[in-house]
Amino acid sequence: MVLNIGPQHPSTHGVLRLKVRTDGEVVSEITPYLGYLHRCFEKHCENITYEQVIPYTDRCDYIASMNNNFGFVVAMEELMEIKVPERVEYIRVIMAELNRIASHLLALGTFGLDVGAFTPFLYMFRDRERILDMFEMVCGARLLYNYMWVGGLSHDIPSNFEQICSGFLDYFEPKILEYNELLRDNKIFVERTADVGVMPADVAVSYGVSGPNLRGSGVNWDVRRDESYSIYDRFEFEIPLGQGQVGSLGDCWDRYWVRISEISESIKIIRQALKGLPAGDIGQALPKKIRPPQGSIYRRTESPRGDLGYYIISDGKPKPFRLKMRSPAFASLSVLDEISRGWMISDVIAILGSLDIVLGEIDR
Amino acid sequence: MLKYFTDIFETVKTLLTGLGITWRHMLKIKKDNVTLQYPEERWPRPERNIGFDLSGYNVVRTKLNVDIDDCIGCLKCARACPVDCIKIETIKAENRGEDMPQIKHLGLTSNGTRKAMVITRFTIDMSECCYCNLCTYPCPEDCIYMVGGPNSEKHIIDYEYSEYDRRNLIYQFAKKISAEQKENLQKSLNKPKVPA
Amino acid sequence: MTIDLLMDNISGFLKVPALAFILAGLICGITLFLVIALNALIAVYAERKVSAFMQDRVGPMGQGVGLHAGKWGVLQTIADAIKLLSKEDTIPALADRKLFIIAPFVIFITAFLGLAAVPFNQHIQIIDINIGIFYILAVGSMGIVGLVMAGWASNNKWSLYGAMRSAAQIISYEIPAGLSIISAVMLAGTLNLQEIIHFQAGTIWGIFPNWIIFNNPFSFLAFFVFFISGIAETNRTPFDIPEAESELVAGFHTEYSGMRWAFFFLSEYANVLVVSALTVICFLGGWQSPFSGWLNSPAWGLFWFLSKVIILVFLMMWIRWTFPRLRVDQLMYVCWKVFIPLALLNIFGVGLWSLIAG
Repeated sequence: MVLNIGPQHPSTHGVLRLKVRTDGEVVSEITPYLGYLHRCFEKHCENITYEQVIPYTDRCDYIASMNNNFGFVVAMEELMEIKVPERVEYIRVIMAELNRIASHLLALGTFGLDVGAFTPFLYMFRDRERILDMFEMVCGARLLYNYMWVGGLSHDIPSNFEQICSGFLDYFEPKILEYNELLRDNKIFVERTADVGVMPADVAVSYGVSGPNLRGSGVNWDVRRDESYSIYDRFEFEIPLGQGQVGSLGDCWDRYWVRISEISESIKIIRQALKGLPAGDIGQALPKKIRPPQGSIYRRTESPRGDLGYYIISDGKPKPFRLKMRSPAFASLSVLDEISRGWMISDVIAILGSLDIVLGEIDR
Repeated sequence: MLKYFTDIFETVKTLLTGLGITWRHMLKIKKDNVTLQYPEERWPRPERNIGFDLSGYNVVRTKLNVDIDDCIGCLKCARACPVDCIKIETIKAENRGEDMPQIKHLGLTSNGTRKAMVITRFTIDMSECCYCNLCTYPCPEDCIYMVGGPNSEKHIIDYEYSEYDRRNLIYQFAKKISAEQKENLQKSLNKPKVPA
Repeated sequence: MTIDLLMDNISGFLKVPALAFILAGLICGITLFLVIALNALIAVYAERKVSAFMQDRVGPMGQGVGLHAGKWGVLQTIADAIKLLSKEDTIPALADRKLFIIAPFVIFITAFLGLAAVPFNQHIQIIDINIGIFYILAVGSMGIVGLVMAGWASNNKWSLYGAMRSAAQIISYEIPAGLSIISAVMLAGTLNLQEIIHFQAGTIWGIFPNWIIFNNPFSFLAFFVFFISGIAETNRTPFDIPEAESELVAGFHTEYSGMRWAFFFLSEYANVLVVSALTVICFLGGWQSPFSGWLNSPAWGLFWFLSKVIILVFLMMWIRWTFPRLRVDQLMYVCWKVFIPLALLNIFGVGLWSLIAG
């Protein structure tokens, strides 16, 4: 039987269409159909200036806009050889890590929703809302920030931000325990996710899967540490790796576990960054005109979904000659067919939830 | 066989833990509740202490507004807009920097800059706006801004400007000028200059 | 108020027995329908509030002016009902029209019939038959016909999946439910619901009420097996795979809208009521007061019965809003490898217990 999941379906995380060939309930082949959210991001960028690209990067991965801004400005600064002030670097790291927490909360919440648990989803959204409130306080927007600029930031953080942020972290840390009791330790959840959708390390690497999905398969790779950008080399944090505690290595449960542990690591980074936040002016390095020299650059950063790469070719004009974005979620989606053959429809939904795709980024 | 029984035990134990959590949340609903009863209660605006006093500092992204009396028609905001939702048309004023009472054209902005342009059209289509705030930064006169923010005693915060028709979301900021006045302006501009 | 009593009263002034029978049946039927509608009305509201409180929300609320849903949103379900009544009744072009139209009523009728044999107190029982338990179980398992009908007639793959899953699920869970209720029947020695309740009068050691759940450790286990199987039979989370919203959109009622969909809803909540009522009757002493001999009049009987049912319905909601959903094969695993052995063990244990103790 050929089953058509989507584009309007409760658990496709956007507008994704999956053509599923099934034998009874068992899935034998999955073909994802993309493009329902295609907005010509790359072509469009050739017609707008570099400043105007930043609000468009927000809209690619709308769950983690700060990280997308971050990736783009890091690439641009490397191309233009701008040295940004210390304070800017610290604020950027804090914002990116806060957004990583928010993104992982959404990913885990919807993962829970996909396997049928409604309550943890709302608990996670409740806490994500507080992070969004902080973003609103900082830059006035809740979802699409346009906060990081080439060479600086659009606003300085308010003077009471540190206090509010550490207050939030103190509130938030015990909540992780609660999520774990509701989902990670719950036997029904374990049964639904352990040993399901096993992604062996070699498959993950050959498909170009990155980020938490790759680390869930036990591959020790994190751009923040291995190809350090910004000031990530100053912080102490661990890279959680899947170990297959309850099932086999690289199953859905491991991906859940990696994400929830990464939240704790992000909290660690934010605490260190808040402690080391220097005073200063944020606008020193803002260039008058963004007109990079001729040349090209590929820079990747660690977004919550994996290696987010920007390839920019400049011909010395204020508009990019070509801009290519490497989308981590695209690779995660491509592996879906491989790892979900032989599982049931319910498992496909769970695997899709564990891969944490964002269609805005896949279709661009 | 042993695993069979430990599994059952594990299941019962973890499920009871889960039930305990939801039970505790249910009993503490008065304290934990996060819902706002929307039309009566509004969400609190985040308390932002910017630490200094700057009238041009704007951090809330709501509705764009223009103080048209201060606009000099430099088109910087229209050029900065990534989605081209700002449309401006101007005519060169015949007397630079002088008041033209018949079309309510003030000669000077509040900063004291001379206005060389008469703005005949300044529309912002808020249904197209992507709230990136990019148009507010290049403005030399600080006359385009998002409504709200800490600088805004005069601008009330306005999140929910909903309309039944999307044409109502196109806001016209330029002062009304009749076609005749417009023609006169253009004519006076085309007049051959009398050598002094 | 058994139907016979009513018929006798009516025959008193209406000399035609057939007419009296029809009239009595109609009165009972309408009352039962109202009970089911009221039950759904209250249960939906309660479900929304319970789920909201568990999730740090407040659920439907109405304060201030305008078209709000009353204080604390009490009018919300009525508003929902009006909305459902006024909705367009769509039937897919390729659906099997006849089956599509009857299916909701088939499901509703089975739930309705099940409720007819439930004793609400010493007297309020539409029909008191001597095989009450058997009747309720038999009628309850008829509902599957309606589900399969709905799934097949919709001509939708999701509906078909939902129907097939629920067929497998409900038929499987009939077995542990039936087996564990046998433990109660063995102790009481009768299939008549009233007599089972009468058996549970008195106390154990003067403290505990002499309910079957407290009778011996095996019947204590049987209570849980029966209750969880009951949850599975009513298709509620964690066993809601036939209508798993994140997988099958809405399962067998994907294509239904308006009043037909409302009938599915009504029968779901009626089923919840029947299962809870049966659990209360067989294990928790029916209308018996928890303090034996105290407040045991018929009016209090109704109160005790309803409060026990409400506690069980709340338990179902509590479970629903806490747990994830099982997968199809895991559902079958739990049924065949855990519950059925446990239920058989219970029968054996109860038999042994009554042999030794009695």
